[in-house]
Formats: sequence, structure tokens, C-alpha cells
Amino acid sequence: MINLKNVSRQLGDFSIKNISLSVDDNEYFVILGPTGAGKTVVLEILSGMYKPDKGEVWINGRNVTFECPERRKIGFVYQDYMLFPNLDVRENIVFGLKLKKIHPKTIDQKLEKFTSMLNIEGLLNRHISTLSGGEQQRVALARALIAEPEVLLLDEPLSALDPRSKELFQQELKSIHKQVKTTTIHITHDFNEAFVLADRIGVMRCGELLEVGTPHEVFQKPNSHFVAEFVGMENIYDGEIVDDIKGSCVRVGKACIRAVTGLRGRVRVAIRPEDIIITRERFASSARNMLDARIVKVMPQGAFVKLILDAGITMAVLVTKQAVEEMDLGVGQSVLAVFKASAVHIF
Amino acid sequence: MRHNKNLMINKRRKVHGYSGIIGNNFFQAILIFIVMILFVFFLAALANVVWKGLASLSESIASQEIQFAVRLSILTSITSMLICLAFALPAAYALERFNIPGRKFINVILNIPLSLPPLVSGVALLLLFAATPFGSALAEHGLKFVFSVNGIILAQFFIITPYMIRVLKASFADIDPRLEFVARTLGCSQWQAFYKITLPIAKNGIIAGLVISWSRAIGEFGCALMVAGATRMVTETLPVALYLNMSIGNLEMAMASATCLIVISIISLFIFEMVGGSRSRASRIN
Repeated sequence: MINLKNVSRQLGDFSIKNISLSVDDNEYFVILGPTGAGKTVVLEILSGMYKPDKGEVWINGRNVTFECPERRKIGFVYQDYMLFPNLDVRENIVFGLKLKKIHPKTIDQKLEKFTSMLNIEGLLNRHISTLSGGEQQRVALARALIAEPEVLLLDEPLSALDPRSKELFQQELKSIHKQVKTTTIHITHDFNEAFVLADRIGVMRCGELLEVGTPHEVFQKPNSHFVAEFVGMENIYDGEIVDDIKGSCVRVGKACIRAVTGLRGRVRVAIRPEDIIITRERFASSARNMLDARIVKVMPQGAFVKLILDAGITMAVLVTKQAVEEMDLGVGQSVLAVFKASAVHIF
Repeated sequence: MRHNKNLMINKRRKVHGYSGIIGNNFFQAILIFIVMILFVFFLAALANVVWKGLASLSESIASQEIQFAVRLSILTSITSMLICLAFALPAAYALERFNIPGRKFINVILNIPLSLPPLVSGVALLLLFAATPFGSALAEHGLKFVFSVNGIILAQFFIITPYMIRVLKASFADIDPRLEFVARTLGCSQWQAFYKITLPIAKNGIIAGLVISWSRAIGEFGCALMVAGATRMVTETLPVALYLNMSIGNLEMAMASATCLIVISIISLFIFEMVGGSRSRASRIN
């Protein structure tokens, strides 16, 4: 159980203000935010590298605000691994165990357990400068986990990996967490990573914690413009709630968008690009929004295609490449943008 | 079209080409000539003294005086080097890692001997240990520095410690403090992190510092002269032997001392290059 209470700290260009955060036992918590948001500062204060200017840090019922790192039982994995260059892989991993003077047989057992968990059995005698980035990352993780810390802190652990390794390692992190169940705080600027791994997400910006919630809550129902934009909600508009014969809708420009909301007056509207369907003909469905639009731009993005539509308002829609080919979608065509009222988020 | 373009290029070459090529050659020739002058000058001076020294070395080397000077030089330089290390290592680490108030000023003071003429350093030490209550108190308790072998060690220490601190600071600055931090998260105290991680990584820098300091100490003359004096067979290091013999016109002995010093310098340079060269770590290519 980790508790940050009103923690503030200034560190050169970076600062954090009044951060209050709780992480439950065994939870995988992701702090998400752009570079410079102060995410690393939070980790550094948690781990004892720096003392907060204000506020308290509690870990498992102990006030550790002024305790030095060696007493906090924390594992730390840096983005650039920070493996000890004067030791080989095996010595790096068992470094923490040797310090505690653990029996050699126990050390060997633990070594086996964690090297097989991380698939690095073959690397034990290698010098660390001969390892690839992915291998170094695993060694760094093994070194932190083998000491069985109460808290595991990961500082952008996947940022230096290529996309393919990133995907693989994400899955591995997930399964490792299921096995070791250590309370983990993982910081990243990649919202997809957060979505895959987190039990809960905290969004930070300019040193402040903006929102905390489950991935679903943060992604589908962000509570601020910044969070919405950051997590990839592209269609964000200013509008006003009006009532008409059919019920309430949000007037955005000339369009009238049906939504489910208790808010009134001037609001902001956000719709995820992947929540919108393209069709050529009107059809009956439970979707309450069907807007006439013209395709203005077609932007291929790997397996997907992003279509920019002009429906009185500019809309970005994400469809698959096959859809574009089968429907023969192209610039200038008239289509209909279809989406449910529940896909429209008002804040 | 293409034919015309080629003609144009050739025309351009013809206009600038002649003087251009000659211009480059002349520039290169002048520079290489300057290198050659320097090389010949230095080589001649060194070779000449080694040649003349080697001739008289075989007789002079057996002399008591030279043997004493060699022994004293090696004894004092190694002692001062070790004492220097004992102070400079923790000092360099503290200055590099800790946020000591007045750090900049402390650095300036510790760097001054680097630019001070050694004679002036010698005068400063002499005054401190001979003309102050501090100095007389020490002398009463048996620690005599002025005009004694201890003075040689003191002088060498004063001269070489700023070098050592500089080299060690650079080595520690090269080591990411986050490595020590990760070691601490794994359970190390600050001291353990320094001893198990930082020191081994700084090994090459430390050795480089030792070699630089030792060779500087062996060659130390001006400062040691002021503090310890130049007493034959008492405070006679190799540089002092050279000086004393030269001033009474004994060229052979002076040359013998010079040759010893040259040989020692070459050996230490060699060691330094070797250690400095071993900076190449294992890589995926090897």
C-alpha cells in the first residue's frame, strides 16, 4: 500500500505540486503523461533519491519520507537500465542478494527462478556491454525482482525498445506481474502501453495529477480536454446542450449530436475515431447519430486508415485498410458517419 | 546537354584549378615543415643528453651519490603519491558528488598550485612550517619538515595533490550517480555503493592519476628545494643531484642524474599510455 500525501518538490526545471496518490497492494499502477510532466520526480521521491519539499510518503504503513533508499525495500528499473559495468550479468542480478549475505544455495534457486521467468538463462556469464537493449532490460528487471521488493518502480521501461520488442515485453510484464504480484508503479508517455498494462492510471501534466481511474474510465470518459487529447480522443468540439423534440442533444456547429449526459449549457464533446462507422446508405440501427459527411482526406496508417471527414464539423474516423478497399472509399465521396450516443463523451 | 555541362565543369576547374592545387600543397608543406622542426628540435635535445648520459652512466651509476639519489627519489615519490591518494580520493568524491557549500571556492583554492610556480609553492610551505606557531608546534612534537626528507614528501604532496584531485574528479564525473542510486535501492549504504560500484569503475582513472602524480613527484625540484634544501646525501633526490653536480661543474654526474630521470619519465609515459589504452571495453564486435 503506497500513499503519497500532498507531495511537492522542485528539481531544477522539473517540479511536482501537491501530488496525492494511493496505490493498493499488488496493483499495477501506471503514471501517464507527456515528457516533463514530472513523472520521474514522483518515482525518485518514492524511492528515496530525493526528499519532498512538502508532503509525506508512506509505504505499507511506514512513514518513509526521510528514510534513505537502502531501507525502503524498493526495486527500481531505469529507462537506460543502469546495469553495473564492472560486473557480469550473473553478478549484476545477485548483487542485492549477496549484500544480504544470503546462502549461496538460496541464491542459486532464486537466480534460476527469475532468469527462467525472464528468459535470460543463457546470458549469465556475458558481459553487459555485449547485450542488446531488450536483454539488458530483462537483466535490469531480474536484478530488481530477485531482491523481492515491496514496491517495483519502472521508469519508462519500454521506451528504448523497438515496437516489436515493446509489444512482446508488454505481455511479459503483464504475466510477470501476475506471478510475482509486487505492487508496481510504471511511468510512461505511451497511452497504449498504459491501457494494456494498468489496473489503474494516473494522468500527469506540468507537475500535477489530473485524473486517476481505471483504463476504461480514463480512456472512454476523460474528465478534461488535456486528458482526452492525450489519450487519443481526436474529435473534440465545443458545443451547447439544447433540447429538441427527440430529447437533448449537443449542438456542435450545424450538427446535432445525440449523447447521454446530465450536463447542461456549454460543454465539450469528444468522440474516439475508432467508435465511428462509415456507411454509404442510411440504415436502421440502435445508433442514434448518423451524419452526412464528405471525405476530405485519406491517411494510411499501417493496418488502419484514418479518414478526415467534413460533416459540418471536421471528424477523424479510423477504419481498416480492407474496409477502404472493399467500399472503395476516396476523397470527395459522400458518406454517412454513424456512432452511438454512448460513444459521445461530454465533459 | 550533358556535353555542355562537362565543358562547363572543366572550364571551372581550369580557372581555379592550377593555383588551387598548388595552394593546397604549399599550405600542407609549410605545416609539415613546422612539425618537422619541432620534432627534430625535441629529438635532438633528448637524444643528445641520453647519448652523453649513457656514456658516463655506467661509472656514475655505481657512485654512492647517484644510488642514494635514486633510492631517495623513489622512496619520497611513492610515499607522497600514497598519502596524496589517501586524501585526494575521498576529497574528489565529496567535491564531485556532495553539495558542499562554497564548493566552487574550495575548488579554486585546491587548483591554485597547478598554476603557481613551484618555487612560490615552496616559499609558502616554508613560511607555514617555519615561521608560524603551527609549524613550531609540529617541530616540537618531532615532525620536522624544513630542511629534511619529510619536507621533500610534503613538497611533493602539495604539488601533486591538485593533479590527482582533478583526474579523480573527472573520473567520478564520468560515472552516472544513478548507478550508485540503484545499488542503494538494492541495499547498499552510501559507503558500500562507493566501494563496490564507483571505485571499481573508476579504476582506470585512479591508475592514470597515480602515474601522473608519481612522475610529477619524481621530477619535483623547485618546491622541494625551498622546503627541504639541497643537502648532499641528505635531501638529495635525482633533480637535486643534477642541480648540485651541475653547479660544481661535474657534468658526468649531472648527466647521469638526467638520464635516470629521462628513463623514469619514459617508463611512466609508457605505463600511462598502456593503462589509458585499455579503455576499450568488451563490445559485441570483439
